[in-house]
Amino acid sequence: MTSADASGRVLHAPPLAGVETPATVSSWLTTVDHKRIGILYGATGFAFFLLGGLEALLIRLQLAVPNNTVVSAHVYNALFTMHGTTMIFLAIMPFNAALFNYMVPLLIGARDVAFPRLNALSYWLFLAGGLLLNASLLAGTPPDVGWFGYANLTSKHYTPGPGVDFWIVSLQILGVSSVIAAINFIVTILNMRAPGMTMMRMPVFVWMTLVVQFLIALAFPPITVGLIFLMFDRFFGTHFYDVAAGADLHLWQHLFWIFGHPEVYILILPAFGIVSEVLPTFARKPLFGAPVVIYSGVLIGFFGFSVWSHHMFAAGMGPVADSAFSIATMLIAIPTGVKIFNWLATLWGGTIRTTTALHFAVGLVGLFTIGGLSGIMHASPPVDLQQTDSYFVVAHLHYVLIGGSLFGLFAGAYYWWPKMTGRLLGEWLGRIQFWVMFAGFNLAFFPQHYLGAIGMPRRVYTYPGDAGWTAGNFASTVGAFGIGVSVLLFIVNAWRSLRRGASAPADPWDGRTLEWRTSSPPPAHDFDTIPPVYGRDSFWREKYGPRRGAPAAASPAPPHLPASSHWPIMIAHGMGIAAVGALTHVSIVVIGALWTIWGIFRLALEHHRTHAHADQTGVLGLDHRKMAMWVFLGSECFFFGTLVATYLAYKGRSVVGPAPHEIFNIPVTSLSTFDLLMSSLLMVLALAAVQRGDRRQALLWLFGTAFFGLIFLGFQAYEFTDFVHKGFTLQRNLFGSTFFVLTGLHGTHVAIGVLWLLALWVLALRGRLGVADAVKVEIAGLYWHFVDVVWIAIFTLVYLIP
Amino acid sequence: MSTVVPRSDYARDILHVYGIVTWVAIGIALVVGLALAWILVRFRDRPGVSRVPAQTRGHTLLEISWTIAPALVLLAIAIPTIQVIFRTQAAPPRDALEIIVYGHQWWWEFRYPALQVVTANELHVPAGRPVALTLQGPDVIHSFWVPQLGGKRDVVPGRLNRLTFTAETPGEYRGQCAEFCGVSHANMGMRVIVDAPEAFARWVAAQKTELAEPAGLAAEGKAIFARSACVGCHTIRGVSSGALGPDLTTFGSRHTLAAGLHPISVDNVVAWLKNPPAVKPDAKMPALGLTDEQARAVATYLIGLK
Repeated sequence: MTSADASGRVLHAPPLAGVETPATVSSWLTTVDHKRIGILYGATGFAFFLLGGLEALLIRLQLAVPNNTVVSAHVYNALFTMHGTTMIFLAIMPFNAALFNYMVPLLIGARDVAFPRLNALSYWLFLAGGLLLNASLLAGTPPDVGWFGYANLTSKHYTPGPGVDFWIVSLQILGVSSVIAAINFIVTILNMRAPGMTMMRMPVFVWMTLVVQFLIALAFPPITVGLIFLMFDRFFGTHFYDVAAGADLHLWQHLFWIFGHPEVYILILPAFGIVSEVLPTFARKPLFGAPVVIYSGVLIGFFGFSVWSHHMFAAGMGPVADSAFSIATMLIAIPTGVKIFNWLATLWGGTIRTTTALHFAVGLVGLFTIGGLSGIMHASPPVDLQQTDSYFVVAHLHYVLIGGSLFGLFAGAYYWWPKMTGRLLGEWLGRIQFWVMFAGFNLAFFPQHYLGAIGMPRRVYTYPGDAGWTAGNFASTVGAFGIGVSVLLFIVNAWRSLRRGASAPADPWDGRTLEWRTSSPPPAHDFDTIPPVYGRDSFWREKYGPRRGAPAAASPAPPHLPASSHWPIMIAHGMGIAAVGALTHVSIVVIGALWTIWGIFRLALEHHRTHAHADQTGVLGLDHRKMAMWVFLGSECFFFGTLVATYLAYKGRSVVGPAPHEIFNIPVTSLSTFDLLMSSLLMVLALAAVQRGDRRQALLWLFGTAFFGLIFLGFQAYEFTDFVHKGFTLQRNLFGSTFFVLTGLHGTHVAIGVLWLLALWVLALRGRLGVADAVKVEIAGLYWHFVDVVWIAIFTLVYLIP
Repeated sequence: MSTVVPRSDYARDILHVYGIVTWVAIGIALVVGLALAWILVRFRDRPGVSRVPAQTRGHTLLEISWTIAPALVLLAIAIPTIQVIFRTQAAPPRDALEIIVYGHQWWWEFRYPALQVVTANELHVPAGRPVALTLQGPDVIHSFWVPQLGGKRDVVPGRLNRLTFTAETPGEYRGQCAEFCGVSHANMGMRVIVDAPEAFARWVAAQKTELAEPAGLAAEGKAIFARSACVGCHTIRGVSSGALGPDLTTFGSRHTLAAGLHPISVDNVVAWLKNPPAVKPDAKMPALGLTDEQARAVATYLIGLK
């Protein structure tokens, strides 16, 4: 429902009784509205994108001619490090997040995401991480070790300055931001779909988003652990990447690429999802083989975890590993190729309207094909051993990331801009922008295939004049500036659109999906009534048939709009301060940590008494919070799995003693294990007591669980102290590093659990933990039991097995 | 430094697979590109005619076909791939010439254990005889890459990686470090000189011959060298035995200095000696405060070391 003023400009739908969308700065700082958060991600991501683009142009200027002196070697090495890190983490991922945020609730007929305040927190953490990374520039010490920072170049010995520390800490914050958002979107997509919206009726963009969130939740833990290892090596003298102490430098590479490869699918699948929406809309036909496109996306996500060592073909893993990863990589090309063919078949037989959005989507199909094919070439280790670490792989990665991800994002931008802003982007200027970008991009990167083939390595700040690389580099530089011009054209187009662009109706493209069913832009509550779902391409069916299934009844009560909150930005501040402390002084870490914990408590209790928050049961019959905890625990499985795997991989490699059997006290540790097991029993009793409203017993068992947890921590403190007295410390040997970090992080999880339980206990003490709050105790219980199970695994694999 | 002008068995094996994947890639790119172009022209919306086309949802047989077809193509790539992987990573033959390669920041050290020869930055190998490189690193990860002689292999401290090839044609081939290893990664080049067997034997002999006593300016240079900090880092047989920098015993017989950075000439060596970090950023060799005359003397001495 929209109305227009005298000039024909579309106004927001009449707001729900009393709920308005103010335009103040503070309303933006405390917003929890998914649409505003999407805009924040998009605008902030765009600013970082420009920064990363500037870094690219400086790189290309330096390489335009041989033996150039535009920048020094030091600056150049920082430029390519920052360019890669920025474009991946601060540009493409936030652009994807902008569209996840804005569009996913609309596409599934929901009014917001499952956890609006956590959603805001994800954004503010992203901003904090991005600012922290770029603060390294202001400090004059940007990281200069490449965006995948191989150990041991990143060790304190070889790179003593704080650049790497900025890099580590920023990436950790960005990781937390991403994983929180992943949990949020998984619960949203699974649990908040409109009635009638079965999984297979969801738009493909939503499916790709879902796969991406699982990839994020499971791929970030390994790099979190790898970065923890690096941080501990640099700050605390551990030996994870210390060859002299018996470490294996392949460990960093494995941990990084177990993240890094799924990361590239995280970057591209949303673009595939966008194309899967844009092509059908402008061909006026359904996506050809939509279920197959969905299944192939799921397969790509799943198998994306099996190919990581194709980044390590030159590292010397041996012929068997090389062959296995080569075959796995080739297999993944099949579902990817299938998508390309399905997109072609979508256009075939259609009535194709060549809007700018379609231009970019078609551009992706063509350019990603080229990037994917150069990727298949890389999949063969013999060929890869010539191509990797040369400009050939630089060409490949830019074809898939720019030709793929960025072109997809521009398609999404032109497609959804009217929905998000109520204006149309200029089509004429848009097409010019497309062609300038297409020409500039191909001129910039196609010659790089050739440069790699004639032997130009990557990451070189200059090259000799007699290598034959000059012409290719010069052409590439010209092309890069062409890309820059096209970005400027986009800015002009966007500016003009916002200032005085033609106003957009609700459905400017005769669309197929639910977002076109509400006004442009949507009201704060997204839909006046939750839309009926008639099948895949539900809105198209509603307009033109055939309809399947009866329309859902209009929702009776006015929708509950999530209230703004300042706790997300406060928590992000706390974590930012702690991160700065990691680079400066431990006291600042403590302040930041305390601030963060305070913020978390306030956020958790902010709606403790809000009636609308009591029941959060979703479409699958599961409470949002329980589902979220399960997803989080899945992520934690990978976290602890990585730690345990490292322990086992490094077993027996310590150069000096003590060895495990010389130092462990199995009888005592068995007691503490028993204690932790019993605490889980007490947790079960506590939950049962809360569920039946037995306040006395709830108090008893909640405290009991926490107390047993404290006993466990006491045992651990005793054990650690005993070890240190015997000379077995974190720094002593490789075993010390792996043991103390693994059990220390587990102990930290126990401590957090104890705090959580004590908080619940205090709530119960004050009579504020009733039957309606049982789910909060249940999720604490899930966490507690998980931490217990992890200990059983640690006790078995580390202590018991010799 | 071309990857497609092979001069060894290893490089040829790679090029065989490279050719297959390249033609496959070009073929598929053309098919998809032409299909895309044709579709866009044929099914373009004409103004005034905005018909809704048939809402085709899919076609199972097509889906199956274009799943199986790529799989078959990949099989055609996978088979030669696996064969070449195992062939090129097989243990080197017994008569292979063993060379140990050390990657340093930012230069290459080469030791021939059986021949008792040590040199730096320029590797001599005999044509027609298998060469078995063992890659070791004392500092960070580097990557040994001489494209015309084969693919690259990382130098990973703590591990022993191997690279085996038989060079075919005498000649000089360029190589460069191919794993980012710090500030002067771009300046870590190398030369591989493939010698005919007799020439190689002569080269080996020359590495082990007593150096002639220099005269004139070179003698002055030797004296400066012997009393300066140079001796702490560099080995010149019979003069010094430093182990931190490249072995300079036959420096004069090399074609380039500072790991393939510049051709060897008096002026280039003087420029290097006076201020190494200015030539190669962050080079570990410091400026030693030599005057122009001293530098010229030392340069003359070093260039005379053949």
